Amino acid sequence: MNDQQQVNARRHREYDRVWGNWPGWGALAAVNHTSVGLRFIVTGLFFFLIGGVLAMLMRTQLALPEQDIVGPELYNQLFTMHGTLMMFLFAIPVLEGGAMYLIPKMVGARDLPFPRLGAMGYYCYLFGGLIILSSMALSIAPDSGWFMYTPLSSSTYSPGPGSDFWLLGITFVEISSVSGAVELVVSILRTRSSGMSLRRMPIFCWYILAMALMIIVGFPPLILASVLLELERAAGFVFFEVAGGGDPLLWQHLFWLFGHPEVYIIFLPAAGIVSTLIPVFAQRPIVGYRWLVLAVITMGFISFGLWVHHMFTVGIPQLAQAFFSLASMLVAIPTAIQVFAWLATLWTGRVVWGLPMLWILGFLIIFVAGGLTGVMLALVPFNWQVHDTHFVVAHMHYVLVGGMLFPLIAGLYYWLPHVSGRMPSELLGRWAFWLVFIGFNMTFLLMHLTGLLGMPRRIYTYQADLGWDWLNLLSSVGGFVMAIGVGMLIVDILLHFRFGRLAPRNPWNADTLEWAVAMPVTTYNFISLPRIESRHPLWKDRQLPEALESGRGGLTDIQADRRVTWGSDAATGEVQQVVHLPSNSWIPLQTGVALAVTCLGLLTKFYWVALAAALIGLVVVLRWSWHNGGHPHAAPLRADDPVSPPLHSRTCDGPGRWGMLMTLLANGSLFACLLFGWFYFWTVSPQWQVPGEAPLTAAPLLISGVLLTIAALLQKRQVNRLCKGSAEGVELGFWISAALALAHALLLLWILPAADLAPRTLAHDAVLAVMLGYLLFHGALVAVLTALQALRVRLGYVRVELPYEPVVLQPLWSYTLTVFWIAFAAFILLPMAW
Amino acid sequence: MRFVPCHPLHLVLGLTVWSAWFVVLYGGLSVACQLAPPDPANGPSTWVNPLLWLSTLVVVAALLWAALRLWRAAPDQSQANRRYISLTSAALYAVSAFATLAVAAPVLFLPPCI
Amino acid sequence: MSVASLAGCSAIGLVSLVLAGCSGPYSALSPAGPSAVDAAALWWGMSTFAGLVLIVVVALWLYALRRKPGQLNAQQARRIQHRWIIGGGLILPIASMTVLLVFGIPIGHRMLPLPVAGEEVLRIDVTGHQWWWQVTYPGQGIELRNELHIPAGRPVDLHLTSNDVIHAFWVPRLGGKLDMLPGRTNVLRLQADESGTYHGQCAEFCGAGHAHMKFTVYAHAPADFAAWQEGVANDE
Repeated sequence: MNDQQQVNARRHREYDRVWGNWPGWGALAAVNHTSVGLRFIVTGLFFFLIGGVLAMLMRTQLALPEQDIVGPELYNQLFTMHGTLMMFLFAIPVLEGGAMYLIPKMVGARDLPFPRLGAMGYYCYLFGGLIILSSMALSIAPDSGWFMYTPLSSSTYSPGPGSDFWLLGITFVEISSVSGAVELVVSILRTRSSGMSLRRMPIFCWYILAMALMIIVGFPPLILASVLLELERAAGFVFFEVAGGGDPLLWQHLFWLFGHPEVYIIFLPAAGIVSTLIPVFAQRPIVGYRWLVLAVITMGFISFGLWVHHMFTVGIPQLAQAFFSLASMLVAIPTAIQVFAWLATLWTGRVVWGLPMLWILGFLIIFVAGGLTGVMLALVPFNWQVHDTHFVVAHMHYVLVGGMLFPLIAGLYYWLPHVSGRMPSELLGRWAFWLVFIGFNMTFLLMHLTGLLGMPRRIYTYQADLGWDWLNLLSSVGGFVMAIGVGMLIVDILLHFRFGRLAPRNPWNADTLEWAVAMPVTTYNFISLPRIESRHPLWKDRQLPEALESGRGGLTDIQADRRVTWGSDAATGEVQQVVHLPSNSWIPLQTGVALAVTCLGLLTKFYWVALAAALIGLVVVLRWSWHNGGHPHAAPLRADDPVSPPLHSRTCDGPGRWGMLMTLLANGSLFACLLFGWFYFWTVSPQWQVPGEAPLTAAPLLISGVLLTIAALLQKRQVNRLCKGSAEGVELGFWISAALALAHALLLLWILPAADLAPRTLAHDAVLAVMLGYLLFHGALVAVLTALQALRVRLGYVRVELPYEPVVLQPLWSYTLTVFWIAFAAFILLPMAW
Repeated sequence: MRFVPCHPLHLVLGLTVWSAWFVVLYGGLSVACQLAPPDPANGPSTWVNPLLWLSTLVVVAALLWAALRLWRAAPDQSQANRRYISLTSAALYAVSAFATLAVAAPVLFLPPCI
Repeated sequence: MSVASLAGCSAIGLVSLVLAGCSGPYSALSPAGPSAVDAAALWWGMSTFAGLVLIVVVALWLYALRRKPGQLNAQQARRIQHRWIIGGGLILPIASMTVLLVFGIPIGHRMLPLPVAGEEVLRIDVTGHQWWWQVTYPGQGIELRNELHIPAGRPVDLHLTSNDVIHAFWVPRLGGKLDMLPGRTNVLRLQADESGTYHGQCAEFCGAGHAHMKFTVYAHAPADFAAWQEGVANDE
């Protein structure tokens, strides 16, 4: 080994020491994005295979008319679980896991900004998924369809625990989706390497940024709906029952407000994979980068205006439907822009063939077909014939399998050498492709006709001689062909780890930074961080990988055994801070376990167990927030701390503040949905009833609000002073704000029972009860967190040199205050005026 | 709040306006149909349709104005990143204007409440 | 046989097979009423166009994969790229959608239960139960189970609601479907052009008996329908 190689090896050992996972079972405490991302992907593929087996059982039952292999009760569980597994436990986790793995590498960072959050997210996903699967093992799986329409899914018509498994389990899993999304947004916006301005960002980052923001805004409607339905099932509250003023249609609105963006959340990262691979194989930059950015942002927003196209047959007036019909067609424009940008790139490039390109070809054919049938479905009169038939099943599989699975597999083959250091095989891969492609089309192409011939969805059997017999048989045969292809794919991937030929560095001659890391991949990505001067860093400087490994970039030397990466400006990418990150920790696993026990307690109706586990979880989470910033376990003040740029916890801005803002965006989406539900009930609920006397009087709430306002104003003043360099009286100020917030919360706690609400009789009161609970939760939360901050000031973890944490807490104060007054206006004042 | 042309928030502001307008359009229509549904025999000639269309035109005009303003205020190539943000935002405002107009267009042809 | 004629024969064969397989008691492609006729026409128009678009896009993609680009300067490259993105990404979808809506919106409007000049439309109430259909003729005291009788050639308004969960009323050969929601009444207008027997089924998943929740519609010539009504009334 020459000198440079010896120096490199020593640096790698140093980095392995600080960034490495603990050995053996200690690896479960890993928080770095490479380990966590790969876990999401592997677990997701496992759920995919189970979902596939369920589909094979369904197709076996449907192969011939009037079969009795699977009766209706079991069949209903099969299709519910197939949809639930594929949509919630495979598609999103695998794509988010892939993004968590790739994004820091592509932006030139060493890790995601909140490693413990991502790790906890994985455990929430794993435990939530296992809880849902366990329902199948016990034959009490949910059976009301993966979109769980009420009243069928309510306790009257689905009395068993199945629906509860779905509602609680899926909400648990969604914690992981939202936390992952928060991390991705902050990673893309605030930890890009030096000089990577927005216009130099890889196009994949734009796709993931849009996807993550969509998750943040689009998942809370389902979280709220699930909470409300579970309250209805377990506690008898009225939300979706007509008798007390509720409305089953509200469930549909909330579900599809989530459900439609969900499918674009699934499509966008896959399209991002296509946009990343095509330039590499065409050996030229992507055509129309700015057009793609436009298309991605447009798609992100417009997809939120489509949801009623799943409800065209519920009886909504034609003009209202027309808005959604038009928006559903409009979204084809950004889709078409992307397809033709890819086409133009291939047209003007010199295409090199490879296995990923074969899968991308399959994607194009299948996804464009699916998109075209989607435009057909957007037309209301046609929709009225094929809604809820196998035509929709065919369409949905074309866009999901074509638009997500095929690009995912292309990406898997493309990035496999990155993970394992070996190339996959060509022969087995090609066989797998053709079997999957042919099998898929055999199953689903003719299914369009099956639907047009009148076969509805979700029926476990059908009469002979309706014209559906040969179609179903062919579809079932196709399903088996596809399953064999998938099996071959798995075998290919597994075998390549052992027999694949060793991959050279950057085997595809790609332009993006992830190929500059050492292969097989490490937990820290880069020995030194690059200065970015181009959109295609590895095409501009082919020696960049060696240069970075030799320490010629930035932030090379390890100080105080800290894990660090750059913190940069969101628009220009200029470095502003050094972000220090946590190392291995058991806290994520502990939190996941506590939440799992809470979930199980609620499921089995052992509510004391659930409460105890929730409290333990709260303690763990508070301990998590305690081991931060200036705490000795995190990044205590040292004489040799970097000054220019400084560590982020010594400043008044940083990833944590942005993380808080993104989390509050999700929270705000949930609150907006609650408001939507309230106004919806008042306007169109079929048998809306208002109690004779308003249960909530304005005066006590007003007092409570004033207490909160004073506390918030005081808090803001303290934090401003701290950031300006004065810590005098800050501790006392924090104690006072906390005490006032506590008084506000206690007053709300008094109002709740004193109001004599009847949530089990009236939807009106049920919504008010939820609203009060929401305000109470936030009031108590700011009180506790501010009291903890006061304690930290006393202990010296928060001071003039460490002003960061109160700054991170500040948006929560603003949010709590704003939400209180909006709730007051909407829930108290407006009905009074009505 | 000053109008800062190169602020990255402009990238999302146009479509946020579209989203808010969409809610107002759909929600407003639903409330109008509950409170004072016009006679179906009148077709699109009611009080609801012109009101929705005119307010849509106001929103579209505001979005186009923003697009033009950003287009003109884009710095030259020496500040490449800020120019990029300005021009892309201008395009997004124009897209939002088109999307607003397109989604509201059925108001011209259809009766509001059946 | 040349490749072209082989391909042509296969295409014709496939199309004939598909067309032959298009009929059936629940087939939306063998329409027997004005709404279903409109929907089927939309299908044939849209699917032909969609098929063409798919073939063209795939062909272009395959060609682009093989093609060796000549020497292009930046100016020429930009122009080619713009042509693709604007032509394919903007003009194609906007034009297609405009055509689609020009045909589609009036068709959708025709399906609505608007008042018919000079005629009182027959009203039938249908209530969905798990898992059967309760059919009543208000004002005539007729109550049926899992069947409807209607006059052929005249529009009928079905007032739909549910007694329990959400169901959906669908007679594919006569028209589209409409959901039956508890607490609400939705009105579906249907018409059978000829007398005959038409089959309907529940089209919204409603539990264990969903697959067997079917009904039959008997369309009678107007004179026969009047006779049937009297016959049932006399039986009461």
